[in-house]
Amino acid sequence: MLEFMDYVLTAFHAQSRWNRDNSYASLTATAANLLDFPVPNGIRLHVSALSSANFASSYTLGSRGVVDGSLSYLYTSLGLSIPSRSSALHLGNLVQGYRHLAALQQPENLRLNEILRNGKKEERRDALLYGRLYLPTSSLEALYLRRISATRLLRLACVSDGTLPNGGSILAVLQNDFGKYSTEYLYSTDSSLIGARGLYNFGYDPRSPDKPSGRTPAHPWDHQGGRLSAGAEAYFSPMNKSGGISTGLRFTTLPIHTGFPYTMTLTINPLMGNLSSSYAVKAGPNLAFCSRFDFNVYSYESDVMIGMELWQRQQPSTEVSWANALLRSDWKRAEADPNGVLKARVDNHGKVGLLWECRVKELLVSLGAGFDLKKRERMLGNVGVEPASDPPDAIIFGAYSLQGSRKQIVAECGYNLASK
Amino acid sequence: MAFNFNWSPLIADTDRVREMLTSSLNKSPKPPIIVDDIIVNELNLGSTPPELEILEVGDLAEDKFRGIFKMSYTGDAYLTLKTRVQANPLNTYLSTKPSFASPQPLAASSGLTIPLQITLSDIRLSGFVILVFSKQKGITLVFRNDPLESLKVSSTFDSIPFVRDYLQKTIESQLRVLFMEDLPAIIHRLSLRMFSPEHQSAETHDPSKANTDERAPIDPFASSAEQPTDSFGQPLEGGTLFSHDAPSETYASFSQKNLLRLAALTESQRTLSLFTPGMRDTVYRAWASSADRNDMSNGISTPLHRPTLSRIQSTLGSHSAFSSSAPSQASETPSVHSRPSLASFPSAPTVYSLGSTASRSRAGRKRKNRVVNLRKEKVEGDVSDMASVSSGYPESANPSATGSAEASSHEDPAAVAREGEINTPPRSPKKKVGFQQSSDTTRLGADSRRPVTPRNSTVAPPSDDDDQTPRASMYLPIPDEQKTPQKPEARPSRQRLSRNQTLPDRVKPPELPRSASDLSLSSLPFSVDGSSGGILEQAWMMKMANEIARKVAEEKVRRPAWRSDDEEGYGRRGGAEAPPAYVS
Repeated sequence: MLEFMDYVLTAFHAQSRWNRDNSYASLTATAANLLDFPVPNGIRLHVSALSSANFASSYTLGSRGVVDGSLSYLYTSLGLSIPSRSSALHLGNLVQGYRHLAALQQPENLRLNEILRNGKKEERRDALLYGRLYLPTSSLEALYLRRISATRLLRLACVSDGTLPNGGSILAVLQNDFGKYSTEYLYSTDSSLIGARGLYNFGYDPRSPDKPSGRTPAHPWDHQGGRLSAGAEAYFSPMNKSGGISTGLRFTTLPIHTGFPYTMTLTINPLMGNLSSSYAVKAGPNLAFCSRFDFNVYSYESDVMIGMELWQRQQPSTEVSWANALLRSDWKRAEADPNGVLKARVDNHGKVGLLWECRVKELLVSLGAGFDLKKRERMLGNVGVEPASDPPDAIIFGAYSLQGSRKQIVAECGYNLASK
Repeated sequence: MAFNFNWSPLIADTDRVREMLTSSLNKSPKPPIIVDDIIVNELNLGSTPPELEILEVGDLAEDKFRGIFKMSYTGDAYLTLKTRVQANPLNTYLSTKPSFASPQPLAASSGLTIPLQITLSDIRLSGFVILVFSKQKGITLVFRNDPLESLKVSSTFDSIPFVRDYLQKTIESQLRVLFMEDLPAIIHRLSLRMFSPEHQSAETHDPSKANTDERAPIDPFASSAEQPTDSFGQPLEGGTLFSHDAPSETYASFSQKNLLRLAALTESQRTLSLFTPGMRDTVYRAWASSADRNDMSNGISTPLHRPTLSRIQSTLGSHSAFSSSAPSQASETPSVHSRPSLASFPSAPTVYSLGSTASRSRAGRKRKNRVVNLRKEKVEGDVSDMASVSSGYPESANPSATGSAEASSHEDPAAVAREGEINTPPRSPKKKVGFQQSSDTTRLGADSRRPVTPRNSTVAPPSDDDDQTPRASMYLPIPDEQKTPQKPEARPSRQRLSRNQTLPDRVKPPELPRSASDLSLSSLPFSVDGSSGGILEQAWMMKMANEIARKVAEEKVRRPAWRSDDEEGYGRRGGAEAPPAYVS
């Protein structure tokens, strides 16, 4: 489940019309969402609030070590109009599952962001400031986003920690999104790492919009129902005299595709000889599967991982059950709001991961467990719970803890202040 | 002086060493580039042991030893390590950075682990090592400086010069850290495991072959109860105890013969037998410390046992190390050459624990006169004896004075000689080994009396002493002219007294543990009747006595201050006697 601040960040991007999926870094996002979900470790409580359209705050308290926690604040110049009550949040926005790619945007469409300022049309320059302080370890994270132009986004991420060399590092990323292709340039002060990423989308060119449907494919790659993307990245560090490159390929079906939506990716690291391929399919409105296979041509090491995702929708209430009965079967039904998501993954080393995210009254709870089937004596690895609550004016917390072989249920208490 | 190693037991136990080395290598946090545990694949200690040279020896006892050595190793030992390393530098770099400010590459940081095997060979070590051995606590070996000189690292990446050079550099630096910090702990643990069942350290303090051959003859009387010995005191039966082929006898850190004698001595104390075996070549630690204690009775047994062997060792060691420093002393008298080492050894005042602390502490308090009646030395000429004894006293080396040291060295030989060849000395080239031996031989052969205190020796020949058991009671000092010259010498050589302290010849407590002196002076020539004497020995002894007298006179002139301290000693003795040779 996304943390509240990440959710706000996603909303910021969505509201400022920045396509985060059109980047090489998110080439394998679907497989990562389905397979690499984080299992909470220990108890962690989040309390967050969107105090106003421009300001958000979040506090976390965890049980790593004796106790650990963090404070975070976020300010945006773009007023966000997103539901912030935990009861009103759409779980689908919070839980990253199978990702349906959005249609590519034309750069011109972004002119919708223009505003009138001082009598001149100017593009909105939205900025976002975010800071997070981890208390026991005294480390500070900061993020600055600035939409320089319709196609440019500047991102500055800083970490300040006494344990790091030079006290911390700053990462600057300049992202350009031109619809058909996108580029990123990044620089990190830590060991002077320079990087560049690029992604190219075959087929539909949003700059010259054609109707996707009804058009005969001009060439084999012009699959109307899907999009083929290819990209590459390269990094170099003059200080370490080291670097890395990789290249990747992705084919994903667009929403107009009939049949099960699927996504296939292939990434190659030619220096290290790593091959990674994944296949994700959405088998139904509530179910998605994914599998990934890694192979190294030099060391012949291989890994297989399988994951699945199951959504639980709210049952229609009894009051409207009579209306549901009247619906014809072939009518398209809107999907009910999801109530909970179950994610599971297994890999060939016998490691199992489970995650259950649901909404419990006003709480959003994540329960996770990690198993290691190969170790008979210590099967249960890490277990944790992360309840999150972001009602702006209520504080509710509760915790369930399953640690190792001990099972203890911590008392839950909460109260609900009157809401506006 | 050299050490002989029996290198095989160390090799035989490499399994334990391998495990300990593996666990110690994996204990500290590994750099992220090393993905797997570091496993010691093979450890071969090679065929040549390291060469040790004793620089300084202190605190010798049957169950403990402390010394400083100069070690050099140019053998063919090798060590093979096996591990897995991460070949993607981006992976190791990013794994240690927080993910918030990390570029989070898609696949450029995927890892590739490569198995790596490293062989360290052609190890050249040279440095100063401090070795402390204690039976209860095992061996502790600490390097004073960085001993690693050069090292050859060969690995699976030898074909890549960049990686090869990087590995060589990194491993050399890590090994230096290992030698200075981890190796002492490993050896300590290993020694605790290895030596608790055994009594002797594998690292031998074996006298070299030459030493063995020239070992001072033992008191045949003393060993008569144990085993037949020839006139040289060597056991006649196969020499198992004290084999001339010393190199094979690697575990005899102490003379077996003396060990047996000690055992016999202990046994004799438990019986009503009046026999007490004499212990030759011994200096008793209790002589130094008994001045503090009023109970002399303690001194009887303890000094007998403790210092005996250690003294031998210390003398052995010291001689070799200090013979070079003789020149400073040489001016005084030729006989002193062997000795001077101690005197001119400024850096080890505290190394020798024997008597040193005792003497120091006592120095602030009362001066105890531990007089060795050197006047009897006229027939002595046991320079080497003196040397050997004094070698055990760092204080002798104290800069109290070179001259005093020399004087003490004069006295020492005499005193030592009285004690009976405590030392080993015969070996030292500067020592008049020949005299020593011959005199000792003659003495020993002819006279199988128990050693008598130097003081008493002239007065009360051992034959008078029916009770062979060492007693605390000292013979009264003989106020003869022999003592006179020694007193002033005794004073200045406060530091020398370290050795002197062990001598039973203490003025203050009349009941000095004579036993030690008795034992050791069994064949002292001053037992008048004991003089085996060839003319040569006598002449040499006369010469020694003259030199001693001369030195005493010089000391008297130079150290008038000491005299006051001696007054009490004098008083004790009746005042009429010459000041004691050694004042504690």
